[in-house]
Amino acid sequence: MINFLEVILVLILLTVLLSLGSTRLVALVRIMALQGVLVSLTPLLLKGHGLASLGAVAFYVAMLAIKGVLIPAMLIRAVKSVSIQREIEPFVGYHASILMGLIFLLSAVFMTNSLHLSLPEGRALILICAVTTMATGLFLMLARKKAITQVIGYLMLENGIYLIGNALSQHHSLYIVEFGVLLDLLVAVMVMGIILTNINHAFDDVDTTLLGQLKD
Amino acid sequence: MLELIFLLPFAAGIAAFILPTVLGRVLLLATAIGHLTLGVLGWTGRLTPLFEHFFGASPEGLLILMVTSFIFTCIAIYAFSYAKESELGAERVFSGCMLFFLGTMSMVTVAEHPIVLWIAIEATTLVSAPLIYVHRSQRALEATWKYVLICSVGIALALLGSFFVTLALDMVELHEPLSFALLNSLATQLDPIWLKVGFSFIVIGFGTKMGLAPMHTWLPDAHSEAPSPASALLSGALLNCAFLGIYKAHILMVNAGLGEFSGNLLVVFGLASMVVGGIFIYKQSDYKRMLAYSSIENMGIIAVGVGVGGVGLYGAFIHLIHHSLIKSSLFLSAGNILLAFGTKRVEQVQGLIRSMPKTFVSFLAGFVGIAGLPPFGLFVSEFLIIVAAVRGHWYLSVAIFVLALVLVVAGAGRVVMGMSFNEGDAPSGTGEKFVRLAPAYVLLLASVTLCVWMPESIYTTILHSIQAIGGFHG
Repeated sequence: MINFLEVILVLILLTVLLSLGSTRLVALVRIMALQGVLVSLTPLLLKGHGLASLGAVAFYVAMLAIKGVLIPAMLIRAVKSVSIQREIEPFVGYHASILMGLIFLLSAVFMTNSLHLSLPEGRALILICAVTTMATGLFLMLARKKAITQVIGYLMLENGIYLIGNALSQHHSLYIVEFGVLLDLLVAVMVMGIILTNINHAFDDVDTTLLGQLKD
Repeated sequence: MLELIFLLPFAAGIAAFILPTVLGRVLLLATAIGHLTLGVLGWTGRLTPLFEHFFGASPEGLLILMVTSFIFTCIAIYAFSYAKESELGAERVFSGCMLFFLGTMSMVTVAEHPIVLWIAIEATTLVSAPLIYVHRSQRALEATWKYVLICSVGIALALLGSFFVTLALDMVELHEPLSFALLNSLATQLDPIWLKVGFSFIVIGFGTKMGLAPMHTWLPDAHSEAPSPASALLSGALLNCAFLGIYKAHILMVNAGLGEFSGNLLVVFGLASMVVGGIFIYKQSDYKRMLAYSSIENMGIIAVGVGVGGVGLYGAFIHLIHHSLIKSSLFLSAGNILLAFGTKRVEQVQGLIRSMPKTFVSFLAGFVGIAGLPPFGLFVSEFLIIVAAVRGHWYLSVAIFVLALVLVVAGAGRVVMGMSFNEGDAPSGTGEKFVRLAPAYVLLLASVTLCVWMPESIYTTILHSIQAIGGFHG
């Protein structure tokens, strides 16, 4: 029998590596949409989770809509409004970035296996996947010049944290609280999008190297 | 209904976006007074939470709530006149976001669920971002971007830390709704590795928001570019809220028998912040940035106080109250200076004593207070923290602590004396005005009063706040 959970986790790792190698912003946003959907589906495939109540159904539908449609749509709009289609302009090259991703993955495996953490049965793979996703998110924020890739890096970091919080932890009874976290994420991306548009108006570009006036 | 404390400002905030701008200013003031009343009711225990899984009145939360509420009232009076005179572009956004900001901060103080606390702290970042961008300059834009991005990433790490702590709870095989009370009651059964990892992430995460070095880089930019009433609120109220997140996690660590680990971590971050604050104040040429670095330094002092424990804990809470009062007063005075001179450069501001005598008095008195000289309360709190540190044999830490304090006094003294007494041209901007002077004086006066006469109920609330981790003799 196919283990759907492992398939999804491998697909998430694939989106992580793809995002490191992608040269076009629109493609990067699409990869993030796919990753959002995959991450939202993960808890459904775990033992003991599932669509137990009406609240749970509403929550997962809302999460799929926000992570898979709403946030990517806002990002695409931001990309269009600042009229940058290609050129992510890396500080670290694409090939080196993919190599970094593989290094993150190996270190995550090594860390999970060597720490002997007290984890529930069969959840080690989720931890590996989550740590790799978080590390890559932080790396993307540092290694790319365009301000919008920093927003994407932040989203990826959040996806990784979500994997830890929702899939790894068994406290999943309070959907209202998780919805609050999701709402914060949505508003954060909205606020960042608005600032991005303003940066583009003020500087005629969204290059983070332009943002260096304030210092001591 | 305890939830009214944050629901009222939310409702008022929505109204401020719809109503005309003049009414928005009145609304700011009316909400402030309503909020203060609710705060007093909550303080005396007459408000019970409706959703007791999520919200509740803890002594440390109430303390920070009252400080926030009092400061906000003073700032609302100030903003009444400031908003008109500084020609804020989007005043509706300003009033609305100030109210939302008050609401989210109040939500932080009454949160009893770790993730709800996180949601509220992240929300403070999002609603205060427009406040920094109100002046719409390129510099303000850069400050806003850094603020939102650095704080969001930092706070995301705090969420990770909170999840690690809940993972520790999973191992106990208990299915009750999560809350700080539940965590504390089971503290000794929790897995220490997850707790340590979780606490480290929480300190880094909320520490970013609190302005602990080396995660403080957004703070001087945001505090200097925001309009002065917003700066006063950011410095005097928001930093305390982030501290509350760390403090609640620290209580859990102490209950789990890991107090030494968390205390050491807090002392290290605290001392780093003090040193960074001291160094950057010394060479500062922008007086609002100087105040911002002083906030970093003072947050460091609070972290050290909590870290060393015992009488230092009491000192830390006294320090928190007085720092909030004095620093917000200083930012309001700085706002008056900025309105008159139109610049934040230290060398372009001269002769305050002649041109703006009343602002001079509040600015200088604020400096005396923040430098930790009597009769202001920071003298007492810093003294208590040093006593506690010596008692605990933290000799190296005491040396660094005192050195950083001296650096700050020397650096800030140079700036303030230069601005006050140097010969120079009179300012060309807006002059002094009672509405913008009184709040700064009231805040300072409150600090002096609390130093001479501390009401019994405040004293006992502080004792209750620190009782969970051993109180005076811990």
